[in-house]
Amino acid sequence: MDTLKYILKRIIQTIPLLIVVSLISFFIIRLSPVDPLAELKLNPSVSQETVQKERERLGLDKPIIIQYGMWAKSFIKGDLGVTSTGERVSQKLKERIPNTLLLTSLVIFLTWLVGIPLGIIAAVRWKTPFDRILTVLTSIGMAIPSFFFAVLLLIFAVKTGWFPIGGLTSPNFAEMSLFEKIIDMTHHLILPVFVLFTISLAGLQRQMRANMLDVLDSDYVKFARAKGLSETAVVYKHALRNAVNPMITLLGFEFAGLLSGAALTEYVFQYPGLGRLILEAVMKSDINLVMASLMMGAIMLIAGNLIADILLIITDPRIRSKS
Amino acid sequence: MTRRGFRVLFVILVVALVCKACLVADIPVSENKNPAPVEQTIEQQYPQPQNITIDGIDYLQSQAPIGNFGGELVSSTIGEGPKTFNPFNTKDNVSSLMANTMYDGLLTSNPDNGKPMPKLAKSFSISPDEKTYTVILRKGIKWSDGKPITADDVVFTWKDIIFAGMGDTSTRDSLVINGELPTVEKIDNYTVKFHTPQPYAPFLMMLSTPIAPKHIFAPAVKKGNEYFDSFLSTNTKPQDFVTSGAFKLKEYIPAQRVVFERNPNYYEINKNDEKLPYLDKIVYLIVADLNNEVLKFEAGELDIISLQGSKVARYKTLEPHSNFKLYNLGPTTGTMYLSMNLNNRKDSNGKFYVEQVKQHWFQDLNFRQAVDYAIDRKNMVLNIANGIGEPLYTPESLNSIFLNKNLKPYDKNLNKSRELLKKSGFYTDEKGRLYDRSGNRVEFNLYTNAGNTEREAIGVMVKQDLEDLGMKVNFKPIEFNTLVNKLVSTYDWDMVIMGLTGSPLEPNGGKNVWLSDGRLHMFNMRSPQEGKKGILPWEKELDELFTKGALATKFEERKKYYDKYQEIVYHEKPFIYIYSPTIIIAVRDKFRNIYPSSLGGITHNIEEIWIH
Repeated sequence: MDTLKYILKRIIQTIPLLIVVSLISFFIIRLSPVDPLAELKLNPSVSQETVQKERERLGLDKPIIIQYGMWAKSFIKGDLGVTSTGERVSQKLKERIPNTLLLTSLVIFLTWLVGIPLGIIAAVRWKTPFDRILTVLTSIGMAIPSFFFAVLLLIFAVKTGWFPIGGLTSPNFAEMSLFEKIIDMTHHLILPVFVLFTISLAGLQRQMRANMLDVLDSDYVKFARAKGLSETAVVYKHALRNAVNPMITLLGFEFAGLLSGAALTEYVFQYPGLGRLILEAVMKSDINLVMASLMMGAIMLIAGNLIADILLIITDPRIRSKS
Repeated sequence: MTRRGFRVLFVILVVALVCKACLVADIPVSENKNPAPVEQTIEQQYPQPQNITIDGIDYLQSQAPIGNFGGELVSSTIGEGPKTFNPFNTKDNVSSLMANTMYDGLLTSNPDNGKPMPKLAKSFSISPDEKTYTVILRKGIKWSDGKPITADDVVFTWKDIIFAGMGDTSTRDSLVINGELPTVEKIDNYTVKFHTPQPYAPFLMMLSTPIAPKHIFAPAVKKGNEYFDSFLSTNTKPQDFVTSGAFKLKEYIPAQRVVFERNPNYYEINKNDEKLPYLDKIVYLIVADLNNEVLKFEAGELDIISLQGSKVARYKTLEPHSNFKLYNLGPTTGTMYLSMNLNNRKDSNGKFYVEQVKQHWFQDLNFRQAVDYAIDRKNMVLNIANGIGEPLYTPESLNSIFLNKNLKPYDKNLNKSRELLKKSGFYTDEKGRLYDRSGNRVEFNLYTNAGNTEREAIGVMVKQDLEDLGMKVNFKPIEFNTLVNKLVSTYDWDMVIMGLTGSPLEPNGGKNVWLSDGRLHMFNMRSPQEGKKGILPWEKELDELFTKGALATKFEERKKYYDKYQEIVYHEKPFIYIYSPTIIIAVRDKFRNIYPSSLGGITHNIEEIWIH
């Protein structure tokens, strides 16, 4: 019951936060001297009337506060509006979200699957050659900028011809059988997943290793060992449960990055995800699309934190008693 | 101790290996600095398709060599892909390219000489008073769904879509002559007559506007403007498209590709009387930037690529042992220029748009000419376009059929610049800094759009050239949309490097730029309230020339007016033109029936292209 109340309280707290976020974003975008109709205006064959008509259609002729009011009203009703070219924002997002989710969830799944065990092993075998090699490798992984790494891999793909140059599917995708389709998508996904995997694995592995080392050094672990418990029981039953708590907070942030974390890599690999869409929208000051993505990002971040907190309540009795 | 030494050695080794990998990747990209000139490919005359009637059906017969059927051509578009497939609602190049692949107009222009050439129309005639255009349609040709293409479709397209102001109204806007629109009437099922209120030369080429299938578009038009704007959007199912062009939509995958398949009812046949097009599919990959396009071409995923000057030399050396061929299409149809803000008016708060001191400089013809003579166009062509381009001195592009060839090129001439500046009372101090007659240091901002590497490079060179004269130039590349806002809304800029698209066939498209109250009259932009306030004598002359040029119908007569307009711009320097890059296109050598032309590009005859 208490937990439920807590969740409700948290959700109500987010409302003013979202209002402030939306206000700031809206005003910054609208007050920047970016003209959303620039391309149209610079086309010699477009008449003044057409430009005027477009301005009215996009509501650019009204004061900014009224524009915000109009946007907020339809946003609350669940209508994200239309892009500056007249397509529905919700439709555009719907086209891209599954692709981005596929990429990011695959990466998160793989990094956690590999990173957590590697972190534990490295901590248990502290200062062995295995740990040292891992440290060097993760240092390299953390040091390479994702953008640069992605470009290197693209050049690799061009030179060897082993991988397609970006995208998600081949031109003849529609004619393939289901099995071929899966193979084709996997083939396209290997490079972008590899880039994101290498980069986030390094951080995750180090975090897990540090947590584990902290816990292994604590008094209750020493006590458990002294009590004569087997090493496996000490590590996996007592130490791990405590070391994993900070990772849950991290998982909350990973959740927030589900939709926005891969933008740079998406751009280099021409991946049909949200990254490219939002980048272009920002450049053209396509207000409805930018606002939709910013709000989405804010909501995901809040939700991620909330989920992490709830998970912590479940796993950590200390927090449970406090709340 | 030794262990630590080993560890350090290991890290150094790893770093060295990574660096080495980068070096290896870089070597092929480095190119020789002296560009190998792209020799002019021997241009074959395009064999224009002819009309032929078989079993009462008026086909268009291709005169190009007969080829094999099948295969696909993979091309690309830069950016985020099409916004719509509705040919009457396209506001960007990619969307119009897509729409024009699917919908044919009554006429098209011959890729060699720009003269009109029949498409859906079998023939056309113009009455002696040059106000009535009679168009005869082909009998028996069909839309992709099997319904006949008749005069009803043509009348519907012009009357209910274009003249009614549905979707994008630029075609309609450009046809308003003294407040009146042309009219269109159906004579019989295969004859349509257009009347223009006055003789109006640009009208003929307007007949290349796509024709819509009435049975598909009529319900959408009935539902009004707002519905029409979202009609045939990118969410429309491919099978709902009914087209007249050689291809129709097969699939659209957002941010990845657009695929077209052959239209089985296309009205063009080859010399064996087999229905064209040869290709089964055209694929447009949607790529985000130029670099990715190059990678995709080199990996063999693309069949056609348009090359930037800096890449041409490398491709030229690759060509003999690669499976592509380079075509030189001549100069681009757009123009690139440097412009000064001639605005001398105040905004609604009584503040000058341009500082008064600067106004005196920019309004001074000597100053503008001095800037012009200081600019080293040849050096820019050599260094920025790697020699793949031509210096430009006129507002019409170098391949325009209206180009005034009497306007002679000239070289950079600093002495002449200094002389002109001196004439206007400018002087330099002992450190070579330039001051005007009232002792103000000559210093101004030069803008261009950030991200366009070519314009940024030009900006740097212009800055250097003008600093030779002692001017202080603050070069500021800013974001495109912000820059346009400055140019056409707030007018608070000094000097800018910009480009405009143009048509090599029709100078009238530039009227928005050159008319003194035009929407793009950037160098002396007037707000709609100001009208023609403060018009300069030569601006007035340009106004007259553009009005006369559009109403005259004989080519020779029009040429006279447009020659004069180019002459005025050449002397008054509202725009200082810089250079035209040459378009070099690489195409896989398996494609046949390629007739590259400066006016039509490389895929103007897409239905005749086949794979060897």
